Amino acid sequence: MNTLILNTTCRVIMGLLLVFSVFLLLRGHNLPGGGFSGGLVAASSFSLFALGYGVEAARRLLRIHPCTLIGIGLVVALVSAVVAPVWDLPFFTGLWDKNPLPVVGKLGTPLLFDTGVYIVVLGVVLQLVFSFSEEEPEKN
Amino acid sequence: MGLLHWIALIFAGGFAAPFLHRRLGDRTGFLLAVLPFGAFVHFCTLVPAVAAGGSLRWEFPWAPSLGISLSFFVDGLSLLFLLVISLVGTFIVLYAAGYLHGKTTLGRFYLALLLFMGSMLGLVASDNIILLFIFWELTSISSFLLIGYYHEQESSRASALQALLVTGAGGLAMLAGLILLGNAAGTYEISRMLAMPAGTISALPGFLPIFILVLLGAFTKSAQFPFHFWLPNAMAAPAPVSAFLHSATMVKAGVFLLARLHPAFGDYALWTPVVGSVGAVTMLTGVFLAMHQSDLKRILAYTTLAVLGTLTMLLGIGTELAIKACMTYLLAHALYKAALFMTSGTIDHETGTRDVAVLSGLGSKMPFTATAALIGALSMAGIPLLIGFVSKEYFYKALLDAPGPGVLWEVIGVGASVLMGALAIVTGIRPFFGRFRETPKHAHEGPWTMWIGPIILGAAALKFGIFPGWVGTHLIGPAAGSILGEPAFEANLKLWHGFNTALFLSILTVVLAVGVYLIAPRWRSASQPLYKGLASVGPESAYGRILDGILVVARWQTGILQNGKLRNYVLTVGGFLVLLVIWVLPKNPVVLDFDRMIPPSILGVTVCVLMIIAAVATCFVQSRFTAILTLGVVGLGVAVLFFLFSAPDLAMTQILVETLTVVLFVLAFYRLPLLREFSSRAVKIRDALLAAGFGLVMTMLVLIAFHFETIATPISEYMSANSLPMANGRNVVNVILVDFRALDTLGEITVLAIAALGVFAMLKLRPNKP
Repeated sequence: MNTLILNTTCRVIMGLLLVFSVFLLLRGHNLPGGGFSGGLVAASSFSLFALGYGVEAARRLLRIHPCTLIGIGLVVALVSAVVAPVWDLPFFTGLWDKNPLPVVGKLGTPLLFDTGVYIVVLGVVLQLVFSFSEEEPEKN
Repeated sequence: MGLLHWIALIFAGGFAAPFLHRRLGDRTGFLLAVLPFGAFVHFCTLVPAVAAGGSLRWEFPWAPSLGISLSFFVDGLSLLFLLVISLVGTFIVLYAAGYLHGKTTLGRFYLALLLFMGSMLGLVASDNIILLFIFWELTSISSFLLIGYYHEQESSRASALQALLVTGAGGLAMLAGLILLGNAAGTYEISRMLAMPAGTISALPGFLPIFILVLLGAFTKSAQFPFHFWLPNAMAAPAPVSAFLHSATMVKAGVFLLARLHPAFGDYALWTPVVGSVGAVTMLTGVFLAMHQSDLKRILAYTTLAVLGTLTMLLGIGTELAIKACMTYLLAHALYKAALFMTSGTIDHETGTRDVAVLSGLGSKMPFTATAALIGALSMAGIPLLIGFVSKEYFYKALLDAPGPGVLWEVIGVGASVLMGALAIVTGIRPFFGRFRETPKHAHEGPWTMWIGPIILGAAALKFGIFPGWVGTHLIGPAAGSILGEPAFEANLKLWHGFNTALFLSILTVVLAVGVYLIAPRWRSASQPLYKGLASVGPESAYGRILDGILVVARWQTGILQNGKLRNYVLTVGGFLVLLVIWVLPKNPVVLDFDRMIPPSILGVTVCVLMIIAAVATCFVQSRFTAILTLGVVGLGVAVLFFLFSAPDLAMTQILVETLTVVLFVLAFYRLPLLREFSSRAVKIRDALLAAGFGLVMTMLVLIAFHFETIATPISEYMSANSLPMANGRNVVNVILVDFRALDTLGEITVLAIAALGVFAMLKLRPNKP
C-alpha cells in the first residue's frame, strides 16, 4: 500500500501517537492510561508506519528487534521488583521519590514496572504485526 | 566473608565462566578453582566451633506469608558435607581443565559445574525445607546439563533425560511430602523440627504419606533400588562429572536428606524395615551388577550404587554405632571414589580405552595416577592404614550390634564387602600391574592437574586411616551427633580395636576378595543367565515402557484436543467451561437483584441492540472481511459500554486492542484462501447451542458475582480505599496492575512474551520454509 495521503499523514500522526503513548504511560498512575495502553498506542503508531512504508522501513525505524524489546521490557519490570529487597523490604514493594519532577511527575518503582510493561507490549504487538505482514502469501 | 558469600561467589563464578573462558581459554580452571578452595578453607575455620557442639544459623525473610525464608543451618552433618563438596570440587575444577583441555564448550561446562556445586552447598546448608527443595531441583537441572555434556551423542542425551526424569519425579513427590510435613509440623524449618521432643514428628496424624513421599525423593536421588538404573547410565558424562556428582556429592543428597531427617523420622515404626531393606537390596544389586561390567567407569558406578545402599542401610539400622559407621563410610567413600573416578578418567583420556580386559601394566607409564589409584583401591578394599579399613571395621561392628535379623545383616554385609574388595582390585590395581599391553592411544601420564587431586585425596585417606582420632572428634563425631540428636556425641575412631569379631571378619573379607577376584571370569559366566534374565524384567525396562506409554497417551490426546484447528479448541474450551459451571451452579443460586442494578439508559440499550445485530450478522456473512468488521462493531460496543459505566481505562484499552486486532486479522486473512466450505446444518446447530449455553453461563456467573457483593465485602473497596494512601496513585486500575497485583502482571507480560516468541517460531522457523 503506497499512497501519498497515507505516507504524508502517517509521519505526522506517528509522532503524535508516540508522544501520546508516553503521555499515557506517565499519567497512568493517577488518570486513565498506563503502560499497557501506552504500549498499544506506541505499537499502533509503528504498525501504521509499516502499513504506509512497508515492514522493512518500520524495522529500520525501530532499530531494535521486537524480540529484544520484549527481553528488555521483562528485565526492566523485574528490576523494578528487586529494588525493594535491596533495602530489606519485600519483593515488589513500591518505592516513590517524594518530590515530583516537572512534566514527568513522581518517579517510583511502579512507574519503572509500568515502563517495563510498555516495552513488552510494544515488542509483542510489533513482533506479531511484523511477522504476519512479512510472510509471503502461499501461492497454491 | 561468610558461608553464604562463598556460595554466592561460586554461583557468580559459574555465570562468569563462559566469559572468562573466552578470554583465558584453558587457564580458566585455575582461576575458578580458587572459589571452591576458598570456600573449603572457610569451612575449615568453622570446624572447631561446630566440633564443640555448636551450630550456625542465618535467616532472611523471603516469602514469610508462605513460611519460606532463606534460612541456613550448619551443624556437624552439614559441615562434613560442605567440606567434602568443596574439597572434591576444587580438584574437579582443576581436573576438568586437563580432561576437557581445548574444548570450546569448556566455559559452558564450568557454568553447569559451578551451578551444581553452589546448589549442592546450598542444599546441605539449608534450614528451610522449601529452600532445600529449590537447591535439590537446581542440582537435578545442573546435573542434567552435565550428564548431557556430550549432547551431540544420542545416548548421552537419553541418559541425561533419564536421570532428570527419575530424580525430577522423585523431587516432585518429595515436594508434596515436604509441604505436608511443614503443614503438619507447623514449621518449615528443619532446625525447629529437630528441636521438637523425640517422637513428635513421627506421631503426627497422616505421617505415613509424608514418610513415603519424602523417601521417594531421597531414594530416587540416591539411586536406591528400584530407581538405581539411572546412575550407571549417567556415566555418559565426562569423567570429572562422574567423579563429582556420582561419587561424592549429588547422589549423596538423598543420603543427606535421610540423615538430616533421621532425628525426626527415625523412631517411626516403618523406618528401619523400609530404609534398611531398601539399602540392603541396593547394596547387593550394586555389587552383583558391578561384577558383570568390563567398563572401568561402569564398574565404579555400580560400586557407588552399592555404597549408597550401604549408607542407606546403616541409616535404616539407626543405632549409635550404625550412624557413626555411616558417617565414616561416607567420608572414606568420598575420598577413594572421587580419586578412582578421576584416575579411571585419566586412563581413558591417555590410553583411549576403559575396558579392564585390555588395560594392563600402566604403572610405569603413569606413575602418579597409578599411585593414587592404588591408594584408592586399597581404601575401597578396606586394607589397614587407610580410612576404608576404619570404616569397614565400624560397618561390621554396627552390623554385629544391629537389632533385627542378626546374622543376616552380617552375611550380606560381608558378602557385599568381599565383592567390593574384588572390584577394587579390578579397578584400581589390575590396570597398573602385569605386562604392558598396547592401547588405542599412546599411553602416557596425564598433566599434573589430573593427578594432583587423586594424590591429595589418597594422602587424606592415608592420614585419616593412620590417625583416625582427629577426624573422629572433629568431623565424624559432630556429624553423627547431629543425626542422633546429641550435639556432644563423641566418636572415638580407633585404628586398632584388639582381636575381635569385626577384625576377624575384615581379614576374612580380604582373603575372600582375592579369591573372588581370581575366580571372577568363571563367576561371570556362571551367573550370566541370571544377569540377562534380571535385565529383561528389571526396573529399567519398566522405565522404558512407562516412557513409551506416556508418549502414546500424549500423542493420542494431542490428536484429539490439539489438532491444530482453532474452532475445535474454542469448542473444547467453551464446552468444558459450560459443563464445569453447570456442575457448580446448584451450590450458588442465581439471585435477580433488580433493586441494586443501574436502570437501563437509552444509549446503553441502543448499543446493546447494535452489538446483538452485529454478532448475529457475523454468523451469516459470506466473506471473512465482512466478518471482521461486524465483529469489530461488537468490540467497539463493549468499549462504549465501559465508558458508560465509567471505566475509561478499560474502554481505552478495549478500543486499542480492537484496532490492533483488526490490523492483525487483515494481515492474517490476507493469505488464507477464500471461504469455500461452510458448516453443515448439524454442525451449525451444535455450535449455536454451545454459543447460547456459553452466553447463558456467563450471564449467570455475572449475576452470582453481583449477588456475592451483598454477602461479603468486595476486595475492590479495599483497593479503592488504599490506592492513594498506600500506593500513591489515584487510578485504581493502574495501581492494581503495577502495585497491588504487580506479580500477576509480571506473569501476564511473561505469557505475552512467550506467545510472541511462539508466533515468531511458528512463522519464521518452519523447517520446510521455501
